[in-house]
Amino acid sequence: MDILGLIQANILTPVVLFFILGIVAARIRSDLKMPDAISEFLPIYLLAAIGLHGGLEMRNTGFSNMLIPMLTAIGLSLVFTLNHYQILRHLGKFNIFDSYALASTYGAVGAVTFSVGLSFLKNQGIESEGYLAAVLAVLEPVSFILAIFLTNMAVSKQIQSKKQSLPEGTLDNNEKTSGMAEQSKTNISKVLHESITGKAIVILLGCIAIGYIIGDEGFDSISIVFDELFTGAIAIFLLEMGIIAGQRLDDIKKVGAFLVAFSILLPTFNGIIGVLVATALGLSLGGAMMFGLLMASASFIAAPAVLRHAIPQAKPSLYITSALGITFPYNIIILLPIMLTVSSIVHNLDGPINLFNYLGINLL
Amino acid sequence: MKLFDVKLLTITCEILAQKNILEILNKHGITGYTLYEVDGNGSKGIRGKGFKNEKNVKIEIISTETRLKDIVEEITRSLFSDFAIILYLSDIQVLRPEKFI
Repeated sequence: MDILGLIQANILTPVVLFFILGIVAARIRSDLKMPDAISEFLPIYLLAAIGLHGGLEMRNTGFSNMLIPMLTAIGLSLVFTLNHYQILRHLGKFNIFDSYALASTYGAVGAVTFSVGLSFLKNQGIESEGYLAAVLAVLEPVSFILAIFLTNMAVSKQIQSKKQSLPEGTLDNNEKTSGMAEQSKTNISKVLHESITGKAIVILLGCIAIGYIIGDEGFDSISIVFDELFTGAIAIFLLEMGIIAGQRLDDIKKVGAFLVAFSILLPTFNGIIGVLVATALGLSLGGAMMFGLLMASASFIAAPAVLRHAIPQAKPSLYITSALGITFPYNIIILLPIMLTVSSIVHNLDGPINLFNYLGINLL
Repeated sequence: MKLFDVKLLTITCEILAQKNILEILNKHGITGYTLYEVDGNGSKGIRGKGFKNEKNVKIEIISTETRLKDIVEEITRSLFSDFAIILYLSDIQVLRPEKFI
């Protein structure tokens, strides 16, 4: 399949065109703006639709074949987060807080990116495994928890070494440092509770359960809202995303060349690894692409809300701008066709044994 | 009509700092406050465009000077370095001072 042709065709889909319109509107300083209530409603709607579809699919296919892809996704997400951290900290020379915040932003998944991927596949007439919606839900908090845990460890280590360097008997200083420790350490269980009870996870898991219970007959009565309106709703939502991304284009200069390169190269690398691993696990053509997209996407709606509390020292302008301003447009316009092409190449190879060989060579 | 002197503390901050501030108020025994979402511009750029998470909120608290100064001290110490916050104290007069102690 011709990658360039596919990218070209992808740009001319309504979803991407709406996104570009949003960017243009923001650049020419138009007063075009979504009403607040709608921009809050649309992510909930999209997650509900994804969840319902996932639930319906899982009813048809059962839970058993979803366990291994899910565990693999969690493992990959953790490895990628650590990998991002090393790159950012040592090559990018970011401070420890920004490194962890960015690492987890890119290790986490983007629900909006996921819905664009689904509509891209729909447009191409390709099916994907519905249980990936459940993987999306499980992956959401994973890399945040890891990053927060590691940040806490690093902070308490720093404080310990500071304490040791202080002369004995300076009670006042000791009190100060322990006060600092209390402030800079974030309570993991609190973060865990917050991210699991966050609206994204609740609506997603809730709708998976509802979809599973109602089945296809029950879904018929609501399919006009959750099926036929889906792509249109994404188009409207992407108009909004385009406006927000367009307003941030100026900030891209501030994040620096390294982070710009990082936010394009890392998703590409993660996404292609994801596609290959998913193919090796036996996912379908579309399923492998969606799995790759899960690995490639960065979180920009959940991340600020979680990270601002968990790692308040990190600069939100860095992780929001790079995830929304660079990675998201790149993912939906260019990386989706690339991953679909990679997925169709590896799916056309003969038999699963060859696939493993292919993967082995690639990883070496 | 007799009016009594008390203080008004006004805090404008990013919406993601709201929870931390309310926790501090709660710790100092403040049960009454007014809170509203606002837009604005400042050193961190135009706020309140796009994401809800990027909005600002304004919190108003009426109480005695000593109590408000303790709160200001704690906010300054624990939140100023990481969050966008503007706060100020002003003199106001109320009718029923017992409500604001």
